[in-house]
Amino acid sequence: MNQDRRTFLKKSSLTLAGSGLYIALFPMISGASAKQQLYAYIVDTEKCIGCGKCAAACKKENKVPDGYYRTWVERYSIMKDGEVIVDSPKGAVDGFKPVKMEKGKIEKSFFVPKLCNHCASPNCVQVCPVGATYVTKEGFVLVDEKHCVGCSYCVQACPYGARYVDHFGSGVADKCTWCYHRVTKGLQPACVNICPSDARLFGRIDDPKSSVHSILKEKRLQILKPETGNNPMVFYVGLDKEVR
Amino acid sequence: MKHCNHIIRFIVVFIFIGIGFFAVRSYLVPDSFGIYGSYSYGFHRGDSDAEQASIPALYQESESCKECHEAVYRTWSNGGHAGVTCEACHGPWQAHNENTLDTVVKDTSVEGCMVCHVTLQARPAGFPQIDDFASHVKEQGEEVQQDMDCTFCHEPHEPK
Repeated sequence: MNQDRRTFLKKSSLTLAGSGLYIALFPMISGASAKQQLYAYIVDTEKCIGCGKCAAACKKENKVPDGYYRTWVERYSIMKDGEVIVDSPKGAVDGFKPVKMEKGKIEKSFFVPKLCNHCASPNCVQVCPVGATYVTKEGFVLVDEKHCVGCSYCVQACPYGARYVDHFGSGVADKCTWCYHRVTKGLQPACVNICPSDARLFGRIDDPKSSVHSILKEKRLQILKPETGNNPMVFYVGLDKEVR
Repeated sequence: MKHCNHIIRFIVVFIFIGIGFFAVRSYLVPDSFGIYGSYSYGFHRGDSDAEQASIPALYQESESCKECHEAVYRTWSNGGHAGVTCEACHGPWQAHNENTLDTVVKDTSVEGCMVCHVTLQARPAGFPQIDDFASHVKEQGEEVQQDMDCTFCHEPHEPK
């Protein structure tokens, strides 16, 4: 009888361990890691003039509610003593005003446009408890507004601050879609379309005629917060070490 | 066989619980859930893709303006503002197309130009910038007049 219980325990623990291993490895077995990102977004900070037309166009195109921004422009001002000041008045929708400060105090200053990075392994998607945010087959990270319950886990999970929940309107999470509705119609995202200095570029990675193709091959590119492991698909040209 | 009774009862209860679970699940989970994408990141309501793609685009490309405004389009496309799309200053094409002329922004105010051209240390060095309107006019050896704006000297479609 004793012997029977031992074999029973042995067999059942083996079964449990086996099924646990299968569940843990299931994403790899089903080929989740082989996901293809079709599009890339390039931000050339050296070309950005800080006019904020991108942020304004985004707001109109996507009817973004007041106080929230899907894309915005940050101005980095690095002082002689090493202090870094970052400002983005109203997300730069109306552009920037000159800094009221004695002349020569700022060592270096530049603009950094920001938006959702449409990561290849996004934290925000992983934490969604209802499957309302997802990566499309083209590599866009989108929010299904009909399915979202507005729990804001994704807002906390995003290391780039790209998401918001409109508490006074829809009540669900929202963010930059890389203008999915435009790209599927063969247009460029509104911010890329409006940019007067070609600081923002968007296109298919595999298309030799697209504006991002040669830059991805030739330029030295950086991504924001690589340590978070999100694998962003927004690449920056001329990113300074102070940029976070 | 005399101990089979309670096993049968257990199986029957289990089957009912199972049927109940799948009935509730099929009611709660949308039909198109999980038809596209992988298990880890792409699991979602499949209809959502098409719903989002069907949103109309507000901004068009400057080519759309050419059809009706060919003369000014030609001037603009050969001038120094050729990189600045029509909609950057005049607002989205779609609104204009639906509601005729009155929705087109014709902002010739100094502030409108200064959004891009006021001197900021953060702008690229080669970009044309001025400190303020009055001192710029004086630098050019002109007098500031009433109702004077940038378009007094510069044609916004082909600025020099």
